[in-house]
Amino acid sequence: MTATPRRLVLLAVVVLVASAFSVSFGASGLGPGDLWRALSADGDPTARSILLQLRLPRAALAALVGGALGLSGCTFQALLRNPLAEPYVLGVSGGAAVGAVAVVVSGIGVILPWTLPVGAFLGAVAAMALVLGVARRASPGRMDTRVLILSGVIIGAFFNAMILLMLSIADVESFRSAIFWMMGNLSGADWGSTALLAVLLVPAGAAVLSLARAFNLLSRGEEVAHYLGASVQRVKLTAYLAASLMVAAAVAAAGVIGFVGLIVPHAVRLAWGNDHRMLLPASFLAGTAFLLVADTVARLVVAPAELPTGVVTAVAGVPFFVALLMRGGRR
Amino acid sequence: MRGDARDWRPVLRGRGLTFAHPRAEEAAVRDVSLSVTPGQLLAVVGPNGAGKTTLLRLLTGSLSPQQGEVRLDDRPLDELDDRERARALAVVPQSESSPFPVTVREMVGMGRYAHLGPWERTGAHDRAVVERALERCAVAELADRQLGELSGGERQRARIARALAQEAPILLLDEPTSGLDLRYRMELFHLLRELRGEGLAVLVITHDLNLAARFADRLLLLDRGRATARGAPESVLSREALEAVYEWPLRLVAHPGPGTDTGAPQTIPLRRDDR
Repeated sequence: MTATPRRLVLLAVVVLVASAFSVSFGASGLGPGDLWRALSADGDPTARSILLQLRLPRAALAALVGGALGLSGCTFQALLRNPLAEPYVLGVSGGAAVGAVAVVVSGIGVILPWTLPVGAFLGAVAAMALVLGVARRASPGRMDTRVLILSGVIIGAFFNAMILLMLSIADVESFRSAIFWMMGNLSGADWGSTALLAVLLVPAGAAVLSLARAFNLLSRGEEVAHYLGASVQRVKLTAYLAASLMVAAAVAAAGVIGFVGLIVPHAVRLAWGNDHRMLLPASFLAGTAFLLVADTVARLVVAPAELPTGVVTAVAGVPFFVALLMRGGRR
Repeated sequence: MRGDARDWRPVLRGRGLTFAHPRAEEAAVRDVSLSVTPGQLLAVVGPNGAGKTTLLRLLTGSLSPQQGEVRLDDRPLDELDDRERARALAVVPQSESSPFPVTVREMVGMGRYAHLGPWERTGAHDRAVVERALERCAVAELADRQLGELSGGERQRARIARALAQEAPILLLDEPTSGLDLRYRMELFHLLRELRGEGLAVLVITHDLNLAARFADRLLLLDRGRATARGAPESVLSREALEAVYEWPLRLVAHPGPGTDTGAPQTIPLRRDDR
């Protein structure tokens, strides 16, 4: 048991290093020294504004989005008892994308940019309610997770069709920005979207973390969990709502950044096992560190242009994960 | 609080329990009454599909009866919250599986769930209870191994250890001996007998009529959802009753001894046509 705090402290140090790395590098070429000096009273105002208005909010948003995706991915894997589950498996991202693409294609997003995250968030919450409603009607009295996964995938497919429908009638410029949004990127980061995500993440994250022991029980099956004293239906509903809200807020702020929520929990599992008391907080911290680094890379490789962060997470994440998987097989 | 809990010896009673699965034509359990009493080992026997597992699920609140009621002492079972119930009843279900591997100690530690708040850390007492449960079920040496690496018998013992870690006064087991070899089957029934001696109320579902006859205080014979016979093993295990229930020719012989079980009725099924 004493291994858990040690591991979490280790990850927290990694997060700090990754944050420092993320803040220190960017397209403007200002290095750590320049930024440090900018903070002093007679510092360069441009450097100061780059630090406070661009790099810090962006790093903070990357950290929160990565953490939210790692934590919610781990939660969906526990809830659905399925190692292939990830934050977007139940259609939340599809709903968010419908909301975002509708805002973009209708042209409202150009006039009022703040409607983009709002549209995405509302779409995500609508998807979440719809999937839950279908699953509860199909399995009255108890939320059958097999029905939940089925209704999530089917409703997600419907949303994808809606997106394609909207894109097929969109003009070239909207088409491009909609696709760019769906690839996931953090370029829209400001303190407002970061604060919104933080406000949702704190209660939802605490709710999920309080269920860590119950998730351990749930992994042995619902009947066993019931016998061991877990309130199975309440645990499942809380996990679904809290994790979906986290995803909705993350997607609204940063688009559909893939892969973090799938590979981060599995990387932690492979390294340290499946006790959710360690796994949940470790997935949060590892997701934070991973997205901080991936986003920094996304900003640097083709500077002054940027890659979508979601492209980097997949391109860097897959080989890393395959290596981890093969190392696990040898052991 | 914990001292009181250990002296608490409630009786689990089911009265007139009836349950039909949705869309099933016949009830799986029909008007069954029974009590699981402290210091007694009750064996529920009967053919496949007789309703034994359904009966266990009714007794443990996993299913709600359509008629009848389950009470823990004087309280209806469904009035207890989930953690309270798990501190009173420990259950070893027939089988389980998990997509995520855990170690034996982690799994046995799950038995402490009902004793711990969501933010409460596992304490010295919890760890001691877990270690004791590991030892009693002879899996202490395997504690740090992955559950999936163990043999079927070892895994079964780890599951029983988890139930013991719940420190519940009532223990219910669904075919715990399936997959166990001769020695561990005997060890298991010895353990159940020992727990009974400590004042636990034990219910075991089993297909092993011979061990049930030797170790159980009382037998309940289920046939197509009904309790057709109940009482001491000698009274329940008659050739007529068993042949009718199992629809198979058989003979009963007395256990040859030596020892405590001398004379206990042992069932020997015959070949199909050797009536």
